[in-house]
Amino acid sequence: MNAIHLKKGFSPRIAGTPGRRLQKLEKPRHVGMVPKQIPFIKPRLLVKEGDAVRIGTPLFEDKRNPRIRFLSPGGGTVTRIAFGPRRVIEAVVITLDDEEFSESFDKPATDQLATASRAEWVELLLAGGMWPFLRSLPFMDLADPDFIPPAIIVRLGDDEPFAPDPVVYLEGREDDFSSGMDLLGRLCERVILNLTGDDSLKSQLSGQMEMRCFSGPYPSGNPAVQLYRTKKGADENRAWFIDGQAVILLGQFLRTGRYPLERIVTVGGSLAPEAGHLLARAGVPLRMLAGGGPLKKTAARYIVGGFFTGFSGSEDSYLSFYQNALNLIDDGDREEPFAFIRPGADKPSYSTAFLSALRKKPFPMDCSQHGEQRACVNCGTCARICPVDILPQFTMKCLVADEVEEALAHGLLDCAECGLCTYACPSKIELCEVLRSAKAQYYKEIA
Amino acid sequence: MKILKQLFNATRSHFETGGKLAKLHPLFDAIETVAFAPALPTRADTHVRDSLDLKRFMTFVIIALLPPFFYGIYNTGYQAGVASGQTPGIIAASLAGAWVVLPMLMVSYGVGLFWEILFASVRGHKISEGFLVTGLLFPMTLPPTIPLWQVAVGISFGVVIGKEIFGGTGRNILNPALTGRAFLFFAYPVNMSGDRVWTAVQQTGQQAVDAVTAATPLALSPLAASGETVTRILADAGYTFQRLFVGNLPGSVGETSTLMILAGAIFLLVTGVANYRIMLGGVLGVLAVAYPGYLLNLSSGGETARLFSVHPAWHLVMGSFAFGIVYMATDPVSAPGMNLSRWIYGFIIGALTVMIRVFNPAYPEGTMLAILFMNIFAPLIDHFVIKARLSKRVPNV
Repeated sequence: MNAIHLKKGFSPRIAGTPGRRLQKLEKPRHVGMVPKQIPFIKPRLLVKEGDAVRIGTPLFEDKRNPRIRFLSPGGGTVTRIAFGPRRVIEAVVITLDDEEFSESFDKPATDQLATASRAEWVELLLAGGMWPFLRSLPFMDLADPDFIPPAIIVRLGDDEPFAPDPVVYLEGREDDFSSGMDLLGRLCERVILNLTGDDSLKSQLSGQMEMRCFSGPYPSGNPAVQLYRTKKGADENRAWFIDGQAVILLGQFLRTGRYPLERIVTVGGSLAPEAGHLLARAGVPLRMLAGGGPLKKTAARYIVGGFFTGFSGSEDSYLSFYQNALNLIDDGDREEPFAFIRPGADKPSYSTAFLSALRKKPFPMDCSQHGEQRACVNCGTCARICPVDILPQFTMKCLVADEVEEALAHGLLDCAECGLCTYACPSKIELCEVLRSAKAQYYKEIA
Repeated sequence: MKILKQLFNATRSHFETGGKLAKLHPLFDAIETVAFAPALPTRADTHVRDSLDLKRFMTFVIIALLPPFFYGIYNTGYQAGVASGQTPGIIAASLAGAWVVLPMLMVSYGVGLFWEILFASVRGHKISEGFLVTGLLFPMTLPPTIPLWQVAVGISFGVVIGKEIFGGTGRNILNPALTGRAFLFFAYPVNMSGDRVWTAVQQTGQQAVDAVTAATPLALSPLAASGETVTRILADAGYTFQRLFVGNLPGSVGETSTLMILAGAIFLLVTGVANYRIMLGGVLGVLAVAYPGYLLNLSSGGETARLFSVHPAWHLVMGSFAFGIVYMATDPVSAPGMNLSRWIYGFIIGALTVMIRVFNPAYPEGTMLAILFMNIFAPLIDHFVIKARLSKRVPNV
């Protein structure tokens, strides 16, 4: 077992940490899928409004590889398909029947588990809608079923505020987890379990396969950062990764032969009516997660996922495929008198330019940009905070000048898209957006 | 606060497109955003942002400049009084100093702001708070006897040639305030060097009284006749180490007091606004050149490079080294961006400062030239440091 401590990065102390107590959420009336929050996918709809679907009926496939399909998280009727600008599919909404029917998938019999070939496992995962849980670095696109990766990283414990705690989602589901791990072992020879956070899991899981323990500030739970810190050669760059909770779902899928619906979701942030873990189902409406009722007086932002990398949603939106957290914080849309000179005991900052540097209490953060955009003054804060040692200020300038080769040499593809550079930039430059869009552009060109 | 907001709301229409003063919109915007940080929620991901912005960043430099600035006002008045044969009290000296320094400051801000607004209006940019630092730094580097029209010319050169033609704050290669000062230094040397410009004697038409020399320590040093040590000359003129440290002597408005500059430096370092590597590198650079020189001088008699005969620590408190290394060299835009580069950059500035002082009698002070020289080389140092660093990465293409 390897223990790796990350020094770079930053964890702001944010108010509204979800507790570990798990509550069960009642069944929603409708569920939804949000294809536009799945990176790189070009969705082709397989259903139309009014169609009856079962749990596990394919809703849409990826035009780039039609074998990869996304299944329905509920049984009932497709009541609404919402399109955004340029026909982007914003949501596929399914109104649930009281009694839901489920598709079943032909899993290998228990005695055939050992003899089934990799191709058979891949086909099963593709058909069962489980394949999309596997994603590939460095672009974080869906994994290519025809490619054998150098390794699969299992990310147990996401330290982005506030993702579900592995202690909570592993409890009572250890068997599913280990059969999920076995399944991954059939796809790739090397499966690495990367553990972030609670030490109690370490002893519980030891004896499994290759395991590493990460500690340090955010984003030590990010698989791209974990790979960057552990890789020995360039051949490891194309590793895949999967979230710990998805491994449990793999095991559950294997046990039941049905598309698993349960997700353990966190609701956090200073405006969350009750911050905690919820046992919800895939595609649950955000309104339900947020307690159903109106929030506190200030305007809230619904962040699906973490504070740094999540998507903006609204109460009418749905939990997306990869995100298992809803964060509710103040939208911050208001002017602040003389903000630049306030002592700032309540202003969180990476710098020591505020009295908050002396404070230990968590801050109720808001979504204000806290200043206007300016030219880069080369202060170097982004380079100091970057967990994968990119020099975001120089790389950004390379990209603005169209020097893509130089940006690649700077380690552009190692960028974990954690958002810390954008967070810390005093000139309020969207560094992460510049880097990420350059990565995506490059990916489209080489694809 | 409400009244202020109403005032902005009432006048805003004049500054918007179609209004009478639409061309001055950057000025209105600058004033309004100082009073009220605008409501700007983040658009997409990275939903939360750090509270530090460039306004606060630059404001902190101004706060750090206040101790030497106020001391400079007092000292200017005090030196003027002494030169006229009086010993003014703290209030009288401050008033007399303010009478000299504040007009310089007003001209610097006024003329500089004119250029800043002009360029911002034409380009459709916002007025950068970086100018507020330049506008304060610049008069602090000037001798108190400078004619105000030269202040205007100097700040114009600094802002226009030193910054705006490159694209504004963040894109300049030279420190704008130093660029302006260097321009004045070479264009109007009579007003910028020699031993008559450092004390603002009131307009009596007389020179400083004989008993009190107005020469700065650095201007004095090369005057040492053969066989005399510089330490002796300085001691004769009443310059002790302690006096140099406190700064009670003629010189540019803001540069004299190492003590006050140190206070500013601590503030900059604690708040993380300036980089300690540059400052520490600079000090090491001074000592690295001055110490061996001092030792050699001790052993050989040192006729050629006489300034080596002062103790190396004196180089840290003489002239404008402290001011330059704390406020000018740490300007993040014109300094390099890599940590190793910052050490190298600071070190060479320190080393060059001493070398110019010691070996070049034409320029008694070397800090300004050393910093400007290294401004030019900053990207080159970065280039090699980045290259070395990238060679260690595991490639990922």
